[in-house]
Amino acid sequence: MTIKEKLKKLLIEELNLEDVTPEEIEDDAPLFGEGLGLDSLDAVELVVLLEKHFGVEVKDLDEGRSAFQSINTLVAYIEERST
Amino acid sequence: MKTADPVQRDHRDAQWTARSIGTHFGHKFFYLLIRFGGRQTAYFFLSFVVIFYVFFTPSIRKKADYYLSRRFKGKHFPGRLADSYRIYLNLGKALIDRAVIGILGEGKMNIEFRKQEELLNLLKEGRGMVLMTAHVGCWQTAMATLRFLNVPVHLLMQREDGDIDLHYYEHAGIPCPYRIIDPRGYMGGVLEMIGVLKKGEVICVMGDRLLGSVKGAATVDFLGGKVLFPFSAFKIASATGTPVAVLLSHKSSPAGYVLEVARVIRVPRDAGKSEKDFSSYVSEFAQALELYTEAHPYQFFNFYNMWEGHLRNQ
Repeated sequence: MTIKEKLKKLLIEELNLEDVTPEEIEDDAPLFGEGLGLDSLDAVELVVLLEKHFGVEVKDLDEGRSAFQSINTLVAYIEERST
Repeated sequence: MKTADPVQRDHRDAQWTARSIGTHFGHKFFYLLIRFGGRQTAYFFLSFVVIFYVFFTPSIRKKADYYLSRRFKGKHFPGRLADSYRIYLNLGKALIDRAVIGILGEGKMNIEFRKQEELLNLLKEGRGMVLMTAHVGCWQTAMATLRFLNVPVHLLMQREDGDIDLHYYEHAGIPCPYRIIDPRGYMGGVLEMIGVLKKGEVICVMGDRLLGSVKGAATVDFLGGKVLFPFSAFKIASATGTPVAVLLSHKSSPAGYVLEVARVIRVPRDAGKSEKDFSSYVSEFAQALELYTEAHPYQFFNFYNMWEGHLRNQ
């Protein structure tokens, strides 16, 4: 399973996204607001998810702001921090 | 898919307003009184202003009744009127005291900080600290005295347009000693708060008012009814392993305040995701606040119907 596939699966499970399949989550669609429709409480979950499942720590706002744009930016963030 | 951010959406669920009572001129007048006449002179004039509001402005009196009717059940006119006067007088004094600290200096008020050591020990754990306070006493006195922590302090605060109250540092003409995180900012300030705690710094939040929608709130018991208090700070504490210290202040003498760590709330890692997972921690805070209202009934300054909101969450 690729990082992207794992991430999408975890997003659905951990953030309790209803009526969404991994395939339906667009790689470039915004995660917050329009798009996947995540909210600020989900952002906390996302920080925990990244730490728990990918060993990646979001240390500050600037890092989070650029990483939390879309699935693609998140994957890039994980790959950058995991290597 | 999900809809509407619990913190960022347009705050239409907020039942309270941070907007000040009174006019810009009125505030200026009191600031001048403090500067040239001192605290006692300002108190003297305040008593007349409060009489005007309490006796001749029923809407203002009603705002205090929500709390007073629960704290002092069975009391009727004129006892309730006297209680309204007392609570608004105390609110006015708290605002004057805040201005006194800024205009005349901290030395004009005696601030006793109990259990300082406990806060320092919590900080030594290296996971930052959430200081949870409430609209009681004079919370700004706490902010003016947190230098002993020796780490940056951040305050989650929403300042409304039209708020004409000045903070103590604005009176003093000094830079803001704490960094303000606006809950209307990017992702409700959540990422900022997590970043701050990861650096071992301090976040100060109000635990008794909901910023944003009811989605970020837990229903808990308070003074014989159900209220909605926010749980997002506990969720962040869980994500970062940060202790939550409930810090409450009360006026203990004409020129004195006591700040006290009412309790420390520990939220385990992975405590959960939803309201029910955090309601026990929010309850702990509500219990601390209820004990406070027993000890200092006229220093609780939430002037809106806190007990109405949970109905909208059902």
